[in-house]
Amino acid sequence: MLLPKFEFHEPRSVEDACQILAEIGPEAKPLAGGTDLLVNMKKKLISPKALVSLARVETLKTLEPSGGKLMMGSCVTAARLAESKTVTESFPALAKAGQSLGSPLIRNLATLGGNVISARPAADLPPALMAYGGRVILKGAYGERRLPLRDFFQGPGQTVLRADEILTALVLDEPAPGSGAGYMKLGVRQALEISLVNVAAFLAMDGRDGAVKKARIVLGSVAPTPVRAYSAEEVLMGERPTEALFSRAGEAALKDIAPIDDFRASADYKRAMVAVLTRRALREALEGARP
Amino acid sequence: MPEYDVINRRAPRLDAPDKVSGRAQYINDMTLPGMLYGALVQSPVAHARILGVDTSKARRLPGVRAVVTAEDGGEIPYGVSPARYDETLFCRDRVRYVGDEVAAVAAGDLETALEAASLIQVDYEEIPAVFTVEEAMTEGAPQLHERYPRNVCAEVHQEFGDVEAALMECDLIRSDTFLNKRQDAAFLEPNGCIAHYDLNGFLTLYTSTQVPHYVMRTVAMVLGMPVGKVRVVKPYVGGGFGPKAAANPMELAACLLSRKTGRPVKMNYTREQVFLFSRARHQFKHILTTGVKRDGTLMALKNACYLEGGAYASFGIATVYYAGSLLSAPYRLPSMKYDGWRVYTNKPACGAQRGHGGVAARAAWEQQLDIISEELGMDPVEFRLKNAMRAGDVTCNGFNMSSFGMRECIEAVVEGSRWKEKKGKMPQGKGIGMATGFFVSGAGYPIYRSDTAHSTVVIKLSEDGGTVNVLTGSAEIGQGSDTTMAMIAAEALGVPLDQVRVTSGDTDLSVDLGAYSSRQTLMTGHATKEAAEDLKRQVLEVVGNKLGVAVENMDVKRGLVVFRGDPPDFSALRNQYIKEHRGFTDNPNEKAPLTFKEAARIAYLEKGSMVGTGKYKPGQLGGQFKGATVGTSPAYGPSAQVVEVTVDKETGKVTVDRMTGAHDCGFAINLTSVEGQIEGSLSMGLGEALFEEVKFDEKGRILNANLGEYKIPTALDMPRVKALIVESQEPNGPFGAKEVGEGAIMPTIPAILNAVYDATGVRFHELPLTPERVFMALQETDKEDITK
Amino acid sequence: MKKLISLTINNRPCEVAVEPRQTLLDLLRNDLGLTGTKKCCDMGECGSCTVLLDGNPVNACLVLAVQARGRHVVTIEGMETEEGLDPLQKAFVEHGAVQCGFCTPGMILSARSLLERNPHPEENEIRMALSGNLCRCTGYQKIVEAVQAASESRPLRKEGD
Repeated sequence: MLLPKFEFHEPRSVEDACQILAEIGPEAKPLAGGTDLLVNMKKKLISPKALVSLARVETLKTLEPSGGKLMMGSCVTAARLAESKTVTESFPALAKAGQSLGSPLIRNLATLGGNVISARPAADLPPALMAYGGRVILKGAYGERRLPLRDFFQGPGQTVLRADEILTALVLDEPAPGSGAGYMKLGVRQALEISLVNVAAFLAMDGRDGAVKKARIVLGSVAPTPVRAYSAEEVLMGERPTEALFSRAGEAALKDIAPIDDFRASADYKRAMVAVLTRRALREALEGARP
Repeated sequence: MPEYDVINRRAPRLDAPDKVSGRAQYINDMTLPGMLYGALVQSPVAHARILGVDTSKARRLPGVRAVVTAEDGGEIPYGVSPARYDETLFCRDRVRYVGDEVAAVAAGDLETALEAASLIQVDYEEIPAVFTVEEAMTEGAPQLHERYPRNVCAEVHQEFGDVEAALMECDLIRSDTFLNKRQDAAFLEPNGCIAHYDLNGFLTLYTSTQVPHYVMRTVAMVLGMPVGKVRVVKPYVGGGFGPKAAANPMELAACLLSRKTGRPVKMNYTREQVFLFSRARHQFKHILTTGVKRDGTLMALKNACYLEGGAYASFGIATVYYAGSLLSAPYRLPSMKYDGWRVYTNKPACGAQRGHGGVAARAAWEQQLDIISEELGMDPVEFRLKNAMRAGDVTCNGFNMSSFGMRECIEAVVEGSRWKEKKGKMPQGKGIGMATGFFVSGAGYPIYRSDTAHSTVVIKLSEDGGTVNVLTGSAEIGQGSDTTMAMIAAEALGVPLDQVRVTSGDTDLSVDLGAYSSRQTLMTGHATKEAAEDLKRQVLEVVGNKLGVAVENMDVKRGLVVFRGDPPDFSALRNQYIKEHRGFTDNPNEKAPLTFKEAARIAYLEKGSMVGTGKYKPGQLGGQFKGATVGTSPAYGPSAQVVEVTVDKETGKVTVDRMTGAHDCGFAINLTSVEGQIEGSLSMGLGEALFEEVKFDEKGRILNANLGEYKIPTALDMPRVKALIVESQEPNGPFGAKEVGEGAIMPTIPAILNAVYDATGVRFHELPLTPERVFMALQETDKEDITK
Repeated sequence: MKKLISLTINNRPCEVAVEPRQTLLDLLRNDLGLTGTKKCCDMGECGSCTVLLDGNPVNACLVLAVQARGRHVVTIEGMETEEGLDPLQKAFVEHGAVQCGFCTPGMILSARSLLERNPHPEENEIRMALSGNLCRCTGYQKIVEAVQAASESRPLRKEGD
């Protein structure tokens, strides 16, 4: 399969990258891992006039905790996320999500930023990132803006990212002690899968045997974007965690989704699986909160 | 039990070093000087009249060397079986599926060829299409082929014994329906070819094929060339599994383009085109009615099968027979009735895929027999053993089990899986299931009516050095046939394996029907053995003459000439040999036994070129009824399997935890290769049971024409496989060997189905067992239980 | 407009002119005669095109040739040593891990990368490491056994040896 012709730019800094994007306009696309972009170009779904590779922008590859936050450069690969000690220890649901993305080969190319801006409803990283309250940093020639990840997605393949902007980093706050998170992905096979349903859950507990003081549940593949299951979170708040509670939360999550029948699975099945995976993700989160 | 020096052990494959080093050349790795690149124009719609084809823009594109349509050739009908030559290379009046070929171009580079193809304007007038058997067979439905009313490509009605009478004597009769889905063979190497019509009017087609011989004949026929001027050469092939067992339109188009341009033309399928081409597993709907006596004796089987076959016949006329005939074994079944319909639909054509028409039928029946044994209160293993055929039995449709290790296969998997400890004692959510299978060792008759030998082999002795080159038209497609033939040749000739080379897959070398219906070990193996023995005899005749020893009192073993009784004085021969090898450092010393190397040299000096030839043709097989030939074979291979699964009831996801498979291969030439075929078969069966399905939209377009959404098992999906070899010593096989390449897959799907039932209490009559299908069925059952 | 790039392929410096839209896979196969790396799906779904890029196994069909500028690429052709086949390659031969061979180059490179990180992997770790490399012939069994055998005997070989 041949790629269409394009100009290739390799800026060394974010500023240069933004400048090129601003000059060329919407027909220029940033290129990181290429595992989504190049596939779409091969399928002739898009034909950008120019690709702006971010591979030489070293600042986009940082992965550094500092001051109670984790700053993750958008060009950090899924493999690095999955293997990073910091991520595995402090953000295990994100490590797990990174580990379940595609295949080991894909993980060595696919980037954090790419998985976010491609905005596929079934993408692996966004639910986990949102469960940890992730924020994106966008830079353009104008400067910089930050927003919560949940405000970043607009629809399948659509985000608020402007044509002249680059997603430079994602920021996560170091979770407080007594909190945990889980990530569940349901696919048909054990690898190379796009999720049928995926769920990330974050719980902050009030003391070891206490009630839920904060909950974030994020559902993927069951709406045009990853969605917060606010109805499920409401059920949990202030309650002591039990299997029955988690089941009720799983059922409540159904109110927040709009799954469709597609060639991968029916809406009915996806609904049923949201309840199951929510329950399981919450269990995993609870285990993390009480090591 | 004779002692063998080369065969019946593990041997590393002759082609493995080239493959692990990246040196092995597959078709897409090859280039020829002056080569052009070809591209196809294929229909985007499922059923349409062609009102016009405008190639003018394409012809004008710089770099385009030729454009061909039905006008330019390829209108001679062809197909797989002469009884159903229902395709032409290009469509003239009508396209019948999304992907049907209308034209082709050749250009100096691939991009130009693709661009030219896109510039060819075809005026389609869409007409109503049929996508299911039901739609296709409805009165008044659009007809794909005028000659075949109601879109019935082939129809089979057979009865052996008296089924209705037999059913009257049964204590238990059960009917079930079963549906699988279209599959894709998903070989990793997409089809590709380079056609080279040279300046002397000889055509050489290099192609990734399982059957150089059949491709040669089809090319000659469609291009209107003498067969003798067409040569097909197979490079390394990255998997076949059935769809590569016949000529394809890309090959024919490339040949046509090469003849037109006088230049070599290369063409490849993209992965998507592989899916569009298909010629893979049909969808089968089986309605089975089985009757047994209370004690478990099988009495009768009624089998009705509807095959959804796509737009052309391909192998379908054989498939529809196999879907019935292969159930006459491995159990003693006195009465069997089969009614089959292979139906045309506006989808890619289905053909033969590993196990052919036997896989879905076996899945359906082995599950039903499990249901029946449960109803009888019999252990499913006992039920199978009770009814199992033995060597010497003949099926109701005339298949002769000349060797038959069914019992041994069942016992091997029962023991190997520790079935007795586990059956009925599996933990919650886990299940164990078993099944058996059965397949042919090569079709009894060639695809085209002919008295030809099925395999011929030539073994050429080097004029010095005592090595041989086995020349065979047989096809090494990854299954290990080259190594098998080398081992057979080495054993039969009496030399070490490293003295044998194999040159194969080239129609110039010999006639061989190729790698399909699991025939090469038995058939090519026989021809190889005969050729080696012929060569040995020729060498020994010369030596015997010179030494005054009768050939019967001589043999070759481990590269040495051995004599019955005391060896004669062969110093004259040795001296002659040494005289011819002055300066060589590896000459035999005075006292050493006479080597084959010396004998071979002496024989060459006496006779000139030393060539051994062998051939194989099965005897007259099968009955006199219509379709009797399909399913006939010189030998049959039974198999058995035990599978353990875990079912996650909350999601419906099925995990296969363990697989134990036994296959009776008669006699294992290369143990490693036999195990490899068992393990690979089980992997394909697992995929078909759990994941694989070609999906279409309402316009007949494939939704998942890629390896991301058409899901074959990954290394994480496959469990460890215990592969067990049973050797029943097949009298019709060379050294007792018969097949393993396709039989081993047969029990896989039903063993999984039976294990899933064991884990969940739910029976599945439709594949694949995706998490959704399993989950929904479990929900239904729970609802029923609640309402009961 | 072609760009001139320098990269290291199998420990040899290499300078080539490439079009931006050319993939690393096409560069290796079409321009450099390194046909050991295979094209099967061209979309990152099968692993037949696996190469090591700075030591990491990736799908060469999803890497632009220009992105490989200045980097180290190892293909199957780079596995051999002066003494012949690498022990991992030998293990594949000896254990019957090769049938049609089309997945083999990719499998070997993924396995090599695994063994360099993890010289004595568990079976599950081997399967995980190979989970992006599809095989239709072997059922993976003998491939896993070959990697296990190689892990027991293999001296580690690093980039630049």
